[in-house]
Amino acid sequence: MIAAIAFYVFAAVLIGSAALVVSSRNPVHSVLFLILAFFNAAGLFLLAGAEFLAMVLVIVYVGAVAVLFLFVVMMLDVNFDQMREGVQRYAPIGAAVGAVLFLELIVTVAGWQFVPNVTLHLASATPAGVTNTAALGHLIYTDYIFLFQAAGLILLVAMIGAIVLTHRERGASRRQNIGVQQARTMANTLEMMTVAIGAGSRQTGILRPLPPPARPLDDHDDHGHGGHDDGHGHDDHAHAGGH
Amino acid sequence: MIYAIAILSPLAGCLLAGIFGRRFGDTYAKIVTIGFMILAALCAEISLSQVLFAEQPPEPVILATWFDIGGFRLDWALRRDTLSSAMVAMVAPVATLIHIYSVGYMAHERRSFRFFAYLSLFTFAMLMLVTANNLVQLFFGWEGVGLASYLLIGYWYDRPSANRAAMKAFIVNRVGDLFFALGIALVFQLFGSVEFPVIFAHIPDHQDALYHVLGHTWRAYEVIGFLLFIGAMGKSAQLGLHTWLPDAMEGPTPVSALIHAATMVTAGVFLMARMSYIMESAPGALTFVMLIGASTCIFAATIACVQNDIKRVIAYSTCSQLGYMFMAAGAGAYQASVFHLITHAFFKALLFLCAGSVIHAMSDEQDMRKMGGIWRMVPWTYTCMWLGSLAIAGIPFFAGYWSKDAILEATWASHNPLAGYGYLMGVLAAFLTAFYSWRLIIMTFHGTPRADKHTMEHVHESTPWMVAPLVILAFGAVFAGWLLHGWFIGEDQAEFWAGAIHVGANNHVLHDMENIPSIIGLLPTITGVLGIALAYVMYMLVPSLPGRLASTFQPIYQFLLHKWYFDELYDFLFVRPIQRLARVLWHVGDEKLIDGMPNSAAALAAGGSAQVVKIQTGSIAVYAFTMLIGLVVLISIFLLFR
Amino acid sequence: MINQNWILALPEIVLAICAMAILVFGVLWKRSNPSFPCAMLALASLLLAGVLALSAPLGSAYGGLFAVDHFAVFMKLLIVAGAGLSLILSIDYNVQTGIDRFEFPVLILLCTVGMMIMASATNLMSLYIGLELQSLSIYVMASFNRDDLRSSEAGLKYFVLGALASGLLLYGASLAYGFNGSMDFAQLRAGLTSTNPPAGLVIGIVFIVAGLAFKISAVPFHMWTPDVYEGAPTPVTAFMSTAPKVAAIALLLRALEVPFGHLGQSWTQLVVLVSIASMLLGSLAAIGQTSIKRLMAYSSIGHMGYALIGLATNSQAGIQGVLVYMVTYVFMSAGVFACVIAMRRQGLALEKISDLSGLARTDPMLALAFAIFMFSMAGIPPFSGFFGKLYVFYAAVQAGYWTLAVIGVLTSVIGAYYYLRVIKVMYFDDAQPAFDARSPSLSFVAAVGALVTVLFFVFPAPIVNAAQIAASALFG
Repeated sequence: MIAAIAFYVFAAVLIGSAALVVSSRNPVHSVLFLILAFFNAAGLFLLAGAEFLAMVLVIVYVGAVAVLFLFVVMMLDVNFDQMREGVQRYAPIGAAVGAVLFLELIVTVAGWQFVPNVTLHLASATPAGVTNTAALGHLIYTDYIFLFQAAGLILLVAMIGAIVLTHRERGASRRQNIGVQQARTMANTLEMMTVAIGAGSRQTGILRPLPPPARPLDDHDDHGHGGHDDGHGHDDHAHAGGH
Repeated sequence: MIYAIAILSPLAGCLLAGIFGRRFGDTYAKIVTIGFMILAALCAEISLSQVLFAEQPPEPVILATWFDIGGFRLDWALRRDTLSSAMVAMVAPVATLIHIYSVGYMAHERRSFRFFAYLSLFTFAMLMLVTANNLVQLFFGWEGVGLASYLLIGYWYDRPSANRAAMKAFIVNRVGDLFFALGIALVFQLFGSVEFPVIFAHIPDHQDALYHVLGHTWRAYEVIGFLLFIGAMGKSAQLGLHTWLPDAMEGPTPVSALIHAATMVTAGVFLMARMSYIMESAPGALTFVMLIGASTCIFAATIACVQNDIKRVIAYSTCSQLGYMFMAAGAGAYQASVFHLITHAFFKALLFLCAGSVIHAMSDEQDMRKMGGIWRMVPWTYTCMWLGSLAIAGIPFFAGYWSKDAILEATWASHNPLAGYGYLMGVLAAFLTAFYSWRLIIMTFHGTPRADKHTMEHVHESTPWMVAPLVILAFGAVFAGWLLHGWFIGEDQAEFWAGAIHVGANNHVLHDMENIPSIIGLLPTITGVLGIALAYVMYMLVPSLPGRLASTFQPIYQFLLHKWYFDELYDFLFVRPIQRLARVLWHVGDEKLIDGMPNSAAALAAGGSAQVVKIQTGSIAVYAFTMLIGLVVLISIFLLFR
Repeated sequence: MINQNWILALPEIVLAICAMAILVFGVLWKRSNPSFPCAMLALASLLLAGVLALSAPLGSAYGGLFAVDHFAVFMKLLIVAGAGLSLILSIDYNVQTGIDRFEFPVLILLCTVGMMIMASATNLMSLYIGLELQSLSIYVMASFNRDDLRSSEAGLKYFVLGALASGLLLYGASLAYGFNGSMDFAQLRAGLTSTNPPAGLVIGIVFIVAGLAFKISAVPFHMWTPDVYEGAPTPVTAFMSTAPKVAAIALLLRALEVPFGHLGQSWTQLVVLVSIASMLLGSLAAIGQTSIKRLMAYSSIGHMGYALIGLATNSQAGIQGVLVYMVTYVFMSAGVFACVIAMRRQGLALEKISDLSGLARTDPMLALAFAIFMFSMAGIPPFSGFFGKLYVFYAAVQAGYWTLAVIGVLTSVIGAYYYLRVIKVMYFDDAQPAFDARSPSLSFVAAVGALVTVLFFVFPAPIVNAAQIAASALFG
């Protein structure tokens, strides 16, 4: 009884928050509703006895994905008016399509019937004598090891994709290289000059740093030494200027 | 294996020369094609000897399965009976010699790799044709040689006349091919197969099969034989479909020698011999073959007597000699026709190559009226031309003597209703053959030089590249008949052919021709000598005589000079009406009706296209909606009409 | 003793390991740009995978997730061939476009792993995993030229719409699972004993078909195709139009024939509709195009329509027709794109049809190859495209689908118009300055494509027979 009530509550809140994700005007609110939806879905998993999935959902989706969304939404300057305009423009068609699809699904659900021996194949979410997590682990690492590894490949592709599409080697950027910093000595950084008393800057010549030389963007630049090189070049120029 | 190498190596040469010729140059192309051709020639001879000394006729060499659809199976196979092997053993060496000759003849051409690739392609197609084990592969080779001939006639594509001649050859051949294809279709309908072994084995089963064509009832074999022969007429330039051959002389001379004398044009004769099983059951068709063969024989010979272009004379002579071969086929002496085919290949290739050598020497002059008096300057060519002419005129113990006499004797001895006509025409043609051959020799080599001084200064014997093939072919022209007649038509012919050529139970032509009156056998030789004598009198002793004769018999002379007005007749009968019809169809039928339909359909399509493209806006939302709407539509259709 | 499961999946496993090894190699290789050695290694890996696929034993692995049968082997070889040809096309293009990064071959390899899993998938889960692995790799590759707005837009568009399609597919899979209690094809079939399946299951099939139809860009799920084909780097377009199409067709054939083959009357109608719509749109919309890549996009839509004819017949002859069609299509397509990539003048890639004008005079070989492919795509004998069409039309007529065959012939005629227009432009229009010298890799791919296209009619038997055996594996 309580489980049934909990189910309906979770389900109702899940659907409601999902609708609000789509319809909310403020994207930050959308993401927050999304988090709410995740929590309720986790609740549904719990009711079904799949506590591992419930926890994973909370940790991964709420803890990582949704927070990342939040960051992105807040960092990007999204033009909400334009988005809303788009929503209004397509709303009638969307509503019509949705309505028809919904009707059709109702028709389908009305005629819901299982294939006779359907229960034969269904595995219980809570096998006897084993915890849900252990059972899942067994399945993933034995029966479904192939798919598990293939899924790993998908993540690898995603990683490669992220790097390929966004990572840039910037030759001109300066990076901290602690080793070089530590190895710097006074001799190769400073030049001591004796300045006559009373001489103005025009007489002695003031060492001014020159702008760093323009370097071509080069993808296969040696990693991590850009800053070091630049620093040196800079120093050299400064040095040269002194003579 | 060796047999397959003989057939396929020209293809290899063609591909290597054609694909890489541009990059590696002409010398490379020449080396490759000639190398492969020599290989092919050697393998062909070895293979022939294997076939001759084998106990059993060897099985066909199956290269690969071509089609296997349902019950219809076709193989790429190489037939290995005597007929195929003998043809291969003739085609490959002759083609090799002509490749070699071409090195000299085409020496001044730039980018001649194309020429050599085409020549090898032709050789491959010809070998495919003669080794086919089914009618479809034969047709493949048939069209292949047609294509190669088209490419080679039009080799100098910057000459409009060459392009026209190439197209003419292609189109006239299509007429014959149409009938040939029809014949193949009927064979398939009758036998349920196009494989030769199957067809030949089931010949007796369909003796009484009938077709109803145009309200008449015909025996199936007659119809098929008739159709096949019309196909052969196109390829072998027989009367009616001969008009393309003289024009084909626009191609380089080696091409004329190889394609339009030695090999391709004889494909029709080969087809008759190959299908002897069917032809033997079609006496009506054989009568027609005899009629056309004999008529072509005399018709072409009369024209050859008045032509002035050296290559055209030989072209008409080829036409006439092909007529002899068909006469033999019509008489039921297929062996004799193939024998003449082989000997003719040697001496006609020789004559053409000699003509090429002369043309080369005379700075590309082809008109015999502008030649003369050069025989001391080109001794090799002159000698070879003599030997070739002696062979073609049927002077005893030269190659042509054996085969031509055999044909005329067989014609006399056969039961063909038109045998008498055939013999008469054949003897007359033998007279004319000798006449025009010596007319050619005398006009070309003797008398006072008629060319301008500049040309005469440049007259020279050809390079060894060109002379060597002449000498080798000359050997063939002299000895081929003497060497081969025992096998082809003599006592050993039954073992030699070993069933490759079928003769009917009542067909004893080869036997009967031994028992004819001796005067009948001697007559062709006598007329041949008379022809030579006449030519000597007319062109050597009294050179003014031909001109006087021509003006006296002006109408006849004009009639012959204009080749019996065939081109004009066709122009009037077919070309112009078709052009008129085409114009009408073009303006009314095509522009208004046919174009109208596709144009409006195209307009409709373009309109539809514009509509369809309109939703291709680039907006993801639109795309997504399209997908969803499509999905909903599909589901709705599903739920409604399930 | 090694578990049989691993032996059966050896081609995929080896290819995945090779991909990862090449990735590591590419990261560690400091001396010069590693993209060329990586591409060569990737080619070798593909070759290895092809050999392994050919020699792999037959059987079912991982409790029915994965099957190796003649059908899978046939498809895998075709996939590997398509991937290999596209990879060869990419080598020089990427250098010239400045996107020669070693990740490209790695992505192609991982994508190929995904496609091979698709070809072997006998479970809705492995189907989905393979599909996602393939799709994700292609999303990345489509936007590989990230500094080019069109390329990144193409990748994004394909990604968003692809996600939608994946959603549809998953939803359909969940419906099928929900009504039947199994994701395994064989058990699905065993469960569906009645000839009148529940409506929910049928709708599930529709959703699955929709998801897969997106991947083969069949109407009405084709909308992404022209934009993505045009925007993506050309070798990627070549890749998209060859191997993934084969994989998706393989999936579609298996997912419909194996579990639902006996319910033919409930889904053939659907395939018929999609097929007709694709043929019509493919031939109509292509007419007005000026970009050769967009033209090829519509052409591929049309071609998929023809291939679907074979599936619609729900017969072994039809499936055989589809397989033959795919073989001819892959080689024609790779060849055409080799020609398109060769269109470069003074270092600038060209893609307008008008840029081809007079090509026959400036580069007769390229024009000849292009013409062969265009003739073949138009279905003009004796080129392979004609025989591909012949087989599917023949199967359709045999199965009584006259309408399909007639519409197919009519749309081929309309389609011939735009293919022949390309030839007309090349051979009869005024010549323009010659293209840059093309690299041997392009000539190689064009030559391979042309050879297969031209010589198919000489030796169709090996391919046709293999297709027959492969098709019988689905019905056996």
